[in-house]
Amino acid sequence: MGTHWFWLVMTAACVIWYSTITIYVALRGAVDIKEMLARLGRNGEDAGAE
Amino acid sequence: MRAASPGHDGASQHMGHFSWPIDGGIIGLYLLATMIAGIGVRRYVGKVEHFLVAGREMNLYLGIASLAATEFGIVTCMYTAQNGFEKGFSGATPGLLNAAAMFLVGITGFCVKPLRDSGVMTIPELFDKRFGKNVRWLAGVVIVLGGLLNMGVFLRTGGEFLVLVCGFSSDYIRNTHYLEITMTVLLLSVMLYTVLGGMLSVLVTDFLQFIVMSVGLIAVTILVLVNVGWSRMMTAVEAHYGEGGFNPFANEDMGVPYVLFNLLITFAAVLTWQTTIQRVLAAKDTKTGRQVYTRTSFFFVCRFLIPALWGIGALAVLTPEQYGGNTLYAMPIFLGTFVPIGLMGVLIAAMLAADMSTDSSYMLTWGGIIYNDILAPFRKRVHSDKQGILWNRCIVACIGIFLMIWGLWYKLEGDLWTYLGVTGTIYLSSMSVLLIACCYWKRANDWGAYGAIICGAAVPVLFLVLEIAWGKPALVDLFGKHVAYWSGISAYAIAALAMIAGSLLKPQQGRA
Repeated sequence: MGTHWFWLVMTAACVIWYSTITIYVALRGAVDIKEMLARLGRNGEDAGAE
Repeated sequence: MRAASPGHDGASQHMGHFSWPIDGGIIGLYLLATMIAGIGVRRYVGKVEHFLVAGREMNLYLGIASLAATEFGIVTCMYTAQNGFEKGFSGATPGLLNAAAMFLVGITGFCVKPLRDSGVMTIPELFDKRFGKNVRWLAGVVIVLGGLLNMGVFLRTGGEFLVLVCGFSSDYIRNTHYLEITMTVLLLSVMLYTVLGGMLSVLVTDFLQFIVMSVGLIAVTILVLVNVGWSRMMTAVEAHYGEGGFNPFANEDMGVPYVLFNLLITFAAVLTWQTTIQRVLAAKDTKTGRQVYTRTSFFFVCRFLIPALWGIGALAVLTPEQYGGNTLYAMPIFLGTFVPIGLMGVLIAAMLAADMSTDSSYMLTWGGIIYNDILAPFRKRVHSDKQGILWNRCIVACIGIFLMIWGLWYKLEGDLWTYLGVTGTIYLSSMSVLLIACCYWKRANDWGAYGAIICGAAVPVLFLVLEIAWGKPALVDLFGKHVAYWSGISAYAIAALAMIAGSLLKPQQGRA
């Protein structure tokens, strides 16, 4: 019976964790992309200036 | 819309819930957004470093999204669902082991810290510094061989899922070429943005694909739990597998060899699987790379448990006649019977997203090894960035063409996860040994490295050859039913022994 409860807890944890992390990563990841492309754009301009 | 009726011959009847205007529209919108995003970033690619590791500008959350999207493809969904169908909840054991390995490596920085600190773009490049150019070249060959053989089954398996979940029969797969045509178009689309934008396109499309994939996975899982019910799923596992469906050690087909083999595979994959390690190498610093590992670790439980739940749902609902005796087909046939219009579009878009993110990353990373480690010794002069990017684009295109040919005609025999494990072991066994020795054993040298690479690859290749020549039943009769797991375990053990023996046998420089 112990292992049955284990899998119920794991299933609940997966659904809750995955739902939460999807929203959080969607928001923060979009900012990461914006910053990454801005840095690459700046680096490209610097290289062009040199 | 054609609804499923219980008792139908699901392997031969159309029973899908797919609406072209609604579901087709959702899928079309997703594909359009992906192509625009993937192709749009190509203008930022100015150097080979941009193409292969995104200029090492990847931040934490983009890394998490990219790693999660890459490590979940349709093929993952199929084999983990097959594991759930054939082994119950015990089939999700590799996910627990993978999560534990990833968390431990991330938190301790074991191997990944010295690897990222060294500033290399690939693992073989690190081996060059310690073991010499020949080991780098040989390591590159083994990595590409294992990786491409592994990836060879992705395309057909992905296509089979899409065809079955749309409600077409397994006969339809055999008698028409729509699967081949659909997957070829899909692969060409992935090739287009990967060839143009390299790792930058991969990261941006991975992010989009992570969101679409996650929404689809969560929605369908909730639908399965609500429609089938937890108690019915538990009863089905109990009835088919008893305690072995909940505890891998109590399962006759699994036991200690299965758990040990999967522990070794997952640990080695966390350390050396090129698509995984590429996220550490593309991270803006070592700390970010390690955080990507620790914070993505629980995803690997979801990666195995969510499709396993779908497989268990299929076990509870379908009769053997409905899935035609092929356990790999059970989950998509099951989903095709009850996922409603609208959500079906989200599910297929999610699975396309999963597959495209995996294909793009795999093509790019194996291409990077071919350029950086296998072809490098043959270059007479250093390539300019422009030449380097052109070479990388050509290599990615060649890998795509290889996959189209190999991936669509190769017919898999037996359990998909075991095939992936055995082909992955061709390089995982030796590369993990080499990486650990390279980072932490001062006495390790090229003799040991050659021994580990050759012995680590020989065992799984021998297993595959014998399986083709004699057939799996003959191998099981001769060596027992855990033969595949023992062959995998022995590959790791023999690779480690070869590293130790070779390194100790080579005379040390400066000694008489």
